[in-house]
Amino acid sequence: MRKRVIALLMVVMVVGLMIAGCSQAAEATKTKVGMVTDSGTIDDKSFNQGTWEGIKKYESDNGTIEATYQQPDNEAETDYLNAISDLVDNGYNIIVTPGYKFETAIYKAQDQYTDTKFILIDGAPNDGDYSTDAGPTYKTGDNTVAIFFNEHEAGFLVGVAAALSTETGKLGFIGGMEIPAVQKFGWGYLAGVKYANDTFGSNAEVVDYVYEGSFNNVAGGQQLASGMYDKGIDIIFHAAGGVGVGVFSEAIERATNGENVWVIGVDSDQYEQGKLSQDSDRSVTLTSARKGVDVAAYDYIEAALNGSFPGGQTITLSLADGAVGLPEENPNLSADVLAKVDEAKQAVLDGKVIVPSTQEEIDAFLK
Amino acid sequence: MHKLKAFLSDDKNQNRLIPFLSIILGFLVGAIIMVISGYNPLAAYSKLLQGAGLYGNLRRFGETLVLMTPLTLTGLAVAFGMRTGLFNIGASGQMLMGGFAAIAVGLLVDLPKVIHLPLAVLVAVAAGALWGMLPGILKSKFNIHEVVSTIMMNWIAVWTVYYFVPTYMMGKYNTESAAIPDTASLRFEWLTNLFNGSSINFGLLLALASALLIWWVLEKTTFGYELKAVGFNRDAAKYAGIKVNRNVVLSMMISGALAGLAGATFYIGYTDNIKIGELPSLGFDGIAVALLGLNTPLGVVLSALLFGIMNAGKGFMQAATGVPNELVQIIIAVIIFFAAATQLIKRWLRYFARNEKKEKANGGEA
Repeated sequence: MRKRVIALLMVVMVVGLMIAGCSQAAEATKTKVGMVTDSGTIDDKSFNQGTWEGIKKYESDNGTIEATYQQPDNEAETDYLNAISDLVDNGYNIIVTPGYKFETAIYKAQDQYTDTKFILIDGAPNDGDYSTDAGPTYKTGDNTVAIFFNEHEAGFLVGVAAALSTETGKLGFIGGMEIPAVQKFGWGYLAGVKYANDTFGSNAEVVDYVYEGSFNNVAGGQQLASGMYDKGIDIIFHAAGGVGVGVFSEAIERATNGENVWVIGVDSDQYEQGKLSQDSDRSVTLTSARKGVDVAAYDYIEAALNGSFPGGQTITLSLADGAVGLPEENPNLSADVLAKVDEAKQAVLDGKVIVPSTQEEIDAFLK
Repeated sequence: MHKLKAFLSDDKNQNRLIPFLSIILGFLVGAIIMVISGYNPLAAYSKLLQGAGLYGNLRRFGETLVLMTPLTLTGLAVAFGMRTGLFNIGASGQMLMGGFAAIAVGLLVDLPKVIHLPLAVLVAVAAGALWGMLPGILKSKFNIHEVVSTIMMNWIAVWTVYYFVPTYMMGKYNTESAAIPDTASLRFEWLTNLFNGSSINFGLLLALASALLIWWVLEKTTFGYELKAVGFNRDAAKYAGIKVNRNVVLSMMISGALAGLAGATFYIGYTDNIKIGELPSLGFDGIAVALLGLNTPLGVVLSALLFGIMNAGKGFMQAATGVPNELVQIIIAVIIFFAAATQLIKRWLRYFARNEKKEKANGGEA
């Protein structure tokens, strides 16, 4: 017994050492790129996954980087800082963090690790001190770039598509938490519906406009969606992360029973998620309001490697950058609708339409 | 060899050996899995320890101690319950209520740190004790099993926080409270600097002091003796004139108080706010810590340290060697499995002891 255990141990060690010896020699010159996930997992079909796919794409396209990610157990600033230090201490020079939850951690990390480049998506580094009236102190270090998106422009286009596709004339919106990124999707959506009514003569109205209050309450999302579909709403735009999973389940269930209901996805192309079953060729996903976190991760890793890293800047990516908008393929939109969405898109690009991005602007726009 | 054999056949020694053997087996299984998946286990384990700061990085070691702190306390909470015949599975809820109370005091009261911090900690302890007391009363008055009632209390705690935090203590977003002011924080500038900027906090000392206190109560006082007597045999304890019902309630209160203190160290030490809708898993991890620590205070401290090391080092290990940090969960699970399967290991030990004897006998003939 004992001898066998010892023998096994030795085999373990020898084999292990051999493998380690081989693998270390091969990858010496590559830049190490690390990502830390925010709440949720790397395969959340949304924010984390999008960012990671952007990084992986760069890795497979260029082969000049070596990427890994860390998924902290908790969501406290300490957990994020520890995950970042685990990466930096192991030679990771570029750190990508998706989500506003990283704002305070990056605020500290950018000063602590001045040789490391940080790409913060959807947030601006600040000290998180809301106790004074002045609000928190914002500072984007020379080694950090903060990236935002014009979510309202994507919301606008799906709003146009929804207004032109609805049969009942009733539309719904389900947001996650009431944070700027989600609000902007919603405002753009409202504006898009109005624009379509005014320009293309559609007759649609957003009758339900609610925030669920979280990004992970699947059951809550399903309940809200069920209530909306019962009212005769046939298209729901969700900007709600995991809550949207519930919206999709409700829509899939109803579509399977022959009801004509649709969901508009968010962040990435959620066509796959709307499929009635694994190998069905029908999907309840009308289209998706895409937010190119993958594009952002890809582009700024490239910038960091080329020496053109815009450190210290806060950058907003827009429709014109190709970072937000509809997915490439929209099998559930008719050619006519697609043509009109393209018209609307052109109008935004030409500056004929300024999509509202604040509460005041949307109030004025809807008047 | 004879000595070893004698040592191994003693039941008490076997019990003490089990945690160590479990740990070795856990790491062995982890190593085998790594070899099968093409990683170098020695390098990975080395990086695991390096990440936990055992090679001299003070900041990292500080993080290990930070992760160990609440686990020590929830482990003590569960162990104390076990010793007194109660299975407190609600340490998570008690911890959450403790943390919630500490955050509430931190945000809603404005005092200098010398008063504010102790007040927050004391209120946390009281809230945990209250959350433990209710199942204790239910058990002593109506004989409702504490496993059932503490699990339910967990969810009452979650939804209590869910309602009160957004209503009265909302921070920037409605899913979490505002951050507590420095006057209610267990972190101290000098302590942070001592450990090169780690998030270490005063909770560690509270946890170690609690372990010492619990050891003293259990081993050196009549009160502790009575509690243990109730745990060994209720009827005998009652026959001996011990107030069983009162002791059940007191045991649950002390257990809850320890969990409440764990909540304080986590929510006003490790973090500075509380999030809604989350039951801290540390309360359940406390069951594992207590099991591996044989329900003794010293054992709990040591096993919490082991868990702290593994949790602090796993991210570094992953970044350095590419071994997924989930492997650490597998190792922990295997350790717990063997620690729980005491009869299995005892049989192995007896078999081993017998073989030693046989070998010796064979050697003698030759």
